[in-house]
Amino acid sequence: MRSYECNRAANSSEVECLPTPRVVVIGLASCFGCQLQITNMEQHLMDVVGQFELVYWQLASSEPMPQEYDVAVIEGAVTTLESMETVRQLRQKAKTIITIGACANTAGIPGIAAAGFNGHSSEVYSQGVPNACGQVIAPRSVGSVIQVDYQVPCCPIDFYDFSAVLSRALYGSNRTVPNRTMCGDCKRNETQCFFEKGELCLGLVTKGGCGARCPKLGRPCFGCAGLSKDANLDAARDSVARYGIEVAEFESRLQLFNQTNEALCEGAKGEYHA
Amino acid sequence: MLYRVIDASEIPLLVNAFMESYEVVAPVETDQGVNFEVIDSPDEMKLDYISTVVSPKKYFLPPKEELFRFDAQANEVLPTCVEFPKRVIFGMHSCDINAMNRLDLVFKDCERPDPYYVGRREATLIVGVSCMPGENCFCRLWGADEARYGYDLFLTDIGGKYLVSMSSVEAANILERSCNPRVATDEERQAFRNQTRRRQQSFNADIPEIQEVALLMDAFHKDPFWEELGGRCLGCTACSAVCPSCFCFDIVDEMDPDGRCGSRVRLQDSCCSPDFAVVAGGHNFRPDGRTRVRHRMYHKLNGFLMTHDRMLCVGCGRCVTACKADINPIRVLEFFERKGLDNDE
Amino acid sequence: MMNSLRAPFGNDGHVCECAQHINSISGRMEIDPLGNYSYPLSGQELMAMNPYRPWSARITSITELTETEKLFEFRFIDERIRNAFRHKPGQFVEVSIFGVGEAPISISSSPTKEGFFELCVRRAGAFTQVLHEMQCGDIVGIRGPFGRGFPLDLMRGHDVLCVAGGLGIAPLRSLINNIHDERSSFKKVTIIYGSRTPSEVMFRDQFEMWRHRKDFDLYLTVDHPDDGWDGHVGLVTAPIPTLELNPNDTFGAICGPPVMYKFVVEEMRKRNISYDHIYMSFERHMKCGMGKCGHCQIGHQYCCVDGPVFNYWEAKNIQGSM
Repeated sequence: MRSYECNRAANSSEVECLPTPRVVVIGLASCFGCQLQITNMEQHLMDVVGQFELVYWQLASSEPMPQEYDVAVIEGAVTTLESMETVRQLRQKAKTIITIGACANTAGIPGIAAAGFNGHSSEVYSQGVPNACGQVIAPRSVGSVIQVDYQVPCCPIDFYDFSAVLSRALYGSNRTVPNRTMCGDCKRNETQCFFEKGELCLGLVTKGGCGARCPKLGRPCFGCAGLSKDANLDAARDSVARYGIEVAEFESRLQLFNQTNEALCEGAKGEYHA
Repeated sequence: MLYRVIDASEIPLLVNAFMESYEVVAPVETDQGVNFEVIDSPDEMKLDYISTVVSPKKYFLPPKEELFRFDAQANEVLPTCVEFPKRVIFGMHSCDINAMNRLDLVFKDCERPDPYYVGRREATLIVGVSCMPGENCFCRLWGADEARYGYDLFLTDIGGKYLVSMSSVEAANILERSCNPRVATDEERQAFRNQTRRRQQSFNADIPEIQEVALLMDAFHKDPFWEELGGRCLGCTACSAVCPSCFCFDIVDEMDPDGRCGSRVRLQDSCCSPDFAVVAGGHNFRPDGRTRVRHRMYHKLNGFLMTHDRMLCVGCGRCVTACKADINPIRVLEFFERKGLDNDE
Repeated sequence: MMNSLRAPFGNDGHVCECAQHINSISGRMEIDPLGNYSYPLSGQELMAMNPYRPWSARITSITELTETEKLFEFRFIDERIRNAFRHKPGQFVEVSIFGVGEAPISISSSPTKEGFFELCVRRAGAFTQVLHEMQCGDIVGIRGPFGRGFPLDLMRGHDVLCVAGGLGIAPLRSLINNIHDERSSFKKVTIIYGSRTPSEVMFRDQFEMWRHRKDFDLYLTVDHPDDGWDGHVGLVTAPIPTLELNPNDTFGAICGPPVMYKFVVEEMRKRNISYDHIYMSFERHMKCGMGKCGHCQIGHQYCCVDGPVFNYWEAKNIQGSM
């Protein structure tokens, strides 16, 4: 496996090591909950952070943003021209981009504002959006602005998913990122299907791999991991109807985390709004 | 086959006797449906169930299992100890027992036996129990409604009593120690015959009985039916998760958070997962629902028959309930039934 | 189940040998990294005990063949495994880089060379990228050999026509070099090896030497020649129609990109080589290598057990193979 300088102590000094990767963590429009998920895992935090050199993370240190770095971890949706530029710069400088959380991956909760965006700000701000907000644009995922190398899904992320993706980014992995949808995961948990109880659940179109945690705890899926790129939306609508649930409810629930997904032909990107 | 009779009231005694030296799992009614779970007392068992949501295959091929630990920096396997708990699965239906026998052909009685599967199989006793078919049961079509071997005890309900087929010495010892097994009387033998006839007549007559299913699948390999059936697949793998004879898996390396050590784990997988047939370089040999569902039906109703002389599908009906897109072998049989009618006209 | 009646089908009734090391009283299996058990075991027995467990092998040589392909030489560290590992041409191994994963790679060296084996690896994805970064002395895990190889037993005493396209030369080299090491066991041997450009031709030194030999008919061909190229130009199918062949006595062995097979087989069939004398190696994503995980299934066959080498008659009978 690849050896970095920071691993050197663990190996013989003859092993050729790569320089320790420098990591920056950036928060855009988000609740910062995904970043907190990383810091919350106290018992493993030093293990994880020990594998790289953390050169910028507002949540953890007051060091300013450096000029050079190797990996950028991005949380949050792109909601202003300024953050769009930030994200483009990160792509230019970093060899590896990791997006964490639904906001960064699917536009998440901020994405709910995307449809009909142009009308929103005058409803909220009678005198136009305050300058302090920057130049707001319709919210969008980081992946719609730049090429993303790795994603940690869900809202919020699971610490162990983050750790696995980090390992993947640092050491490489040929494990396929699953594209299946979630119902099989619920069955493996032996969770009763919500549809059998006449309740809507988005698991049948949502990317699997999160372990179907919410259904296991009694809450149907709201799609925070994002639509599977192989999701069969037409068949899903038929399935929903087959269980006596209104398809309109299905469409409506998708708006929560997946509004800007192109497969839904919804969530207009909107225009720049002063 | 050695068989004796015991009273239904003796079942708790038998279960308690097993519990002395085994972990006992049995079908239990929970708020999630009937499923196999570890029990602490025979009162928790629900032996008269039609089907469980998930099959007892999970005790032999768990959804996730660690194969071994490794040190990724030193690139070597670490000492790993794999435990196989001694277990009794009490109350397995014939369909599931037959499914285990088919899994044996792949994992045990083969050129390269799987030591994880074999370890669990050898550490587990199986007590089968008879059943009456539900509306989705079609085990009879594949001969999976009888368990000819693959169990340690099989209990057939003959009304207040059980006819017990004894297959293994270990189970027979426990039975004799805890219960009062006696030779069947003429009446009891007759009751058994009545039970088998009652069961035979209770199968859902609407499920078509088709001969030459395997050859028909070859003949109609390119029929647009497969687009109609597979085109609605949601790629959710629920069918494989509940199926007692699905055994595809993935093997992946999972690193510990410190990036030094890790585990190689085996995960349940499914050929209906969209990226299952992707090869290095990105080409997907089964890129859509049509090809994937057709492949799965092939494996269940044709392929395994050609290589192992028996249907991989055991007709348990779990996928009929589990699939939200209404894809299951019954739909395939109905298609062949329609094809037959078309030709007659 | 303990002591229960065995199935009438299946193996011949002996207790599963791999279960010997499983302590059935305590229900536990120990995986010992060094293979040290309380009783002596042969390499074969060690490998059979747990076929999911890789054995350590050291990289003892790396040769850069082209910009994207390297030839790695491996030697098992444990002597018992080194002595027991015997492959057939056409078989593959599963290479482990712990933490990264496992990948199937065809063996490129002949089994006549004892003590080591060679793998030709193209840098094409995450796994091969890491493998290409490795140096001599680094350790990987190896499981295998797996699969059904080329039928040497059938081919001995007959003519052999090998057709390799691009990276297909990697597994075919195992066959070709084996034939070379037992040359007198085979009659006429023809090799056609096509690449896109001269810089992509692999094992060039070896093949340059063979071009002048009388006991091999070698056709090196490229699609796009450069100024220095003095071999053939054109597709690998081009020489086939005019070869001096005894169709009843010829075995074909083909390996290359999937699209190539149809055309090469067509030419061989036009020369009347029998359906079941034309052998080819199919590529699918082999994972377990043992016909269990399902990833390499083509129709009802498992590429890792029933293949990767199939003959044309078998291939015709498998839905979705060609």
